Amino acid sequence: MKRIIAHLIWAAVAVLAAFCLAGIALNRGEPINSTWLVTAAVCTYLIGFRFYAKFIAARVMALNNKRATPAEVLRNGHDFEPTNKWILFGHHFAAIAGPGPLVGPVLAAQFGYLPGTLWIIVGAVIGGAVQDFVILFASMRRNGKSLGEMAREEIGKVGGFTAMLTVLLIMVILLAVIGLVVVNALKGSPWGTFTIAATMPIAVFMGLYLRFWRPGKVLECSVIGFLLVVLSIFGGQMVAESPALAPIFTLSGMALAVAVIIYGFFASALPVWLLLAPRDYLSTFVKLGVVLMLGVGILFVRPELQLPAFTRFTDGTGPIFAGKIFPFCFITIACGAISGFHSLISSGTTPKMIAKEWHAWPIGYGSMLLESFVAIMAMIAACALQPGVYFAVNSPAGIVGDTPQAAVETITSWGFPVTVQDMDELAADVGEATLFHRTGGAPSLALGMAHIFAQTGGGRTILAFWYHFAIMFEALFILTIIDAGTRVGRFMLQDFIGHFYKPWGRTSWMPGVIVTSAAIVLAWGYFLIQGVRDPLGGINSLWPLFGIANQLLAAVALCVATTILLKMHGLRYVWITAVPLVWLVTVTFSAAWQKIFSPIPRIGFLARAAELQNLLDSGKVAAEKIGETQTLIFNERLDAVVCGIFVILVTTILVDSIRVWTGILRGTREVKLTESPFVPSQLETEAI
Amino acid sequence: MKHLKRFGELVMALLRELGDENAYNRHLAAHGRTHSRAEWQRFSDERFRARYIRPKCC
Repeated sequence: MKRIIAHLIWAAVAVLAAFCLAGIALNRGEPINSTWLVTAAVCTYLIGFRFYAKFIAARVMALNNKRATPAEVLRNGHDFEPTNKWILFGHHFAAIAGPGPLVGPVLAAQFGYLPGTLWIIVGAVIGGAVQDFVILFASMRRNGKSLGEMAREEIGKVGGFTAMLTVLLIMVILLAVIGLVVVNALKGSPWGTFTIAATMPIAVFMGLYLRFWRPGKVLECSVIGFLLVVLSIFGGQMVAESPALAPIFTLSGMALAVAVIIYGFFASALPVWLLLAPRDYLSTFVKLGVVLMLGVGILFVRPELQLPAFTRFTDGTGPIFAGKIFPFCFITIACGAISGFHSLISSGTTPKMIAKEWHAWPIGYGSMLLESFVAIMAMIAACALQPGVYFAVNSPAGIVGDTPQAAVETITSWGFPVTVQDMDELAADVGEATLFHRTGGAPSLALGMAHIFAQTGGGRTILAFWYHFAIMFEALFILTIIDAGTRVGRFMLQDFIGHFYKPWGRTSWMPGVIVTSAAIVLAWGYFLIQGVRDPLGGINSLWPLFGIANQLLAAVALCVATTILLKMHGLRYVWITAVPLVWLVTVTFSAAWQKIFSPIPRIGFLARAAELQNLLDSGKVAAEKIGETQTLIFNERLDAVVCGIFVILVTTILVDSIRVWTGILRGTREVKLTESPFVPSQLETEAI
Repeated sequence: MKHLKRFGELVMALLRELGDENAYNRHLAAHGRTHSRAEWQRFSDERFRARYIRPKCC
């Protein structure tokens, strides 16, 4: 009887998922309530988790709780430690959740809510969560080995080296693009700039507090840090209203970019306990808290989506980034559906802490579903804005015009009415001088979040606080990624140079620290400044480049996963990772091809360079703009080269993988699984 | 009420895990040491060295 009831409940969930997906897909012409999106997503996730992921866990991976995990076999009280399933779930989710699933969907909303929403749900269930789960499983069966080590062992040395180089290059682009998101969010905003600047002394105070005054009291210290950050938001309001202080904190994009670059250098070179670690603690707690608040807020407010299912920009002429739904919607959503970076986490700390093999099911697959749900919430927050407001905030001056009047005329002519008065009132409500041309996704996400939070209580009077709270939340953990990423890049570079000259390999050797930190900072700083200078807003070039890079890293992870499944079962279950791999390769290679070779200047880097060169050659560029135009031409060509390098690197891994697969299928290559030997588990689940 | 208490304990345990407090207690137990400023500094230095060689997720 129980079995029949369970079947009926799951059938009802499946019908509800199908009904809601059909509802959001077929609705046209009137606003749709966000409850449809939430229900469609949650029901689809439940079906994917209960049936597809369980099938993979039971049939393909043959997870076995009687087999000891690395946490039990290698238990050392540090990295290897059996951990409660739900605690590790939260730990893993906190590690994979970054700005990507928040910013990507906001940018992709320019196509309307439907394309992005469908890809976030479907992509996570059959792609992203599968990648995370299989890599976590593979690493867990190999004593917690990293993706690079597994690539080297399962595919070959070429694959391993290429994977490492790919990660380094991707990080350079990632740090530049998220730096640009922060710069655009704080540009001309004394309130926001003061709040974020204040988080630095607060982090240093926390570092000293933890190191000398109350060692080990991380939660206590984080609560104090959080209260100080909230105080700094109120302080930011006073600064913005002060005629003497406001000009000091009203910075241009270029000044902010330089400040972020200098910050990145010092954060990378300073002792980690002083700035990076306390900031990391604080940002992790704030991130989890705000995601929870947003979820509760959306369930409570149930906002209506003002953006249509499809906008006119499905034709590729979008103001935020150029290009059609295929392939650009998919690379823009990026981490909300599938993220290559997750494979680094799934083969990092988490596999060393899993107590029982079956725990990998909720931790590996389930955490990605939760991340996908964060992306759905970001999509709802963006689409809950009036379309005219959404486009006025996110469109660069180079597309809609420099003045507010020109911008509203252009946006209204697209069929999304908005007035200068609407925008001025909204800017005044959130305590900003203007909200025009605030590209990058963060300000519009903050606006959407502020509206949702304000509707739960306080209304318009508290909108400014929530807007700056949301900006603080986004900037806080983006800056943590910048300083941690710069540090990691420095280590990778030192490690690489150390192969040729030993002292460089020592991470404490000061000349090496300074030179490699500067090299990494200059690398991403160059692209950041390129984005700030770009008249098309920077996001148009850099976000697709980041999306391509991130999805190519996912392709690398899926190559490793496919190789492992092929070695385990022959061709029988290869489709599980091969289908998302083929899709990713198709999407990323198409996007890369278009970004390099498209004849449309807003899409193709080379076409844009040629267009600018023609303007120069024909003497249509003013004398004072010649140098700037030459730099723009160089940057477009550089972006084309970087994009080409990404494709070459991944093609190398793909070809190497295909060589291995062919050898296995022909029987000319030994099928050698590098799993650690079976050790019976002595661990009682209740004891964890 | 019992479930609520269990849930609260789980949330606190998660926060302590994220804040490295659980790991520190395990470190003290594993090495048979007691809490002190020097011990926390030794533990956190080692932990941060291992943690910040890995990229953070985007």
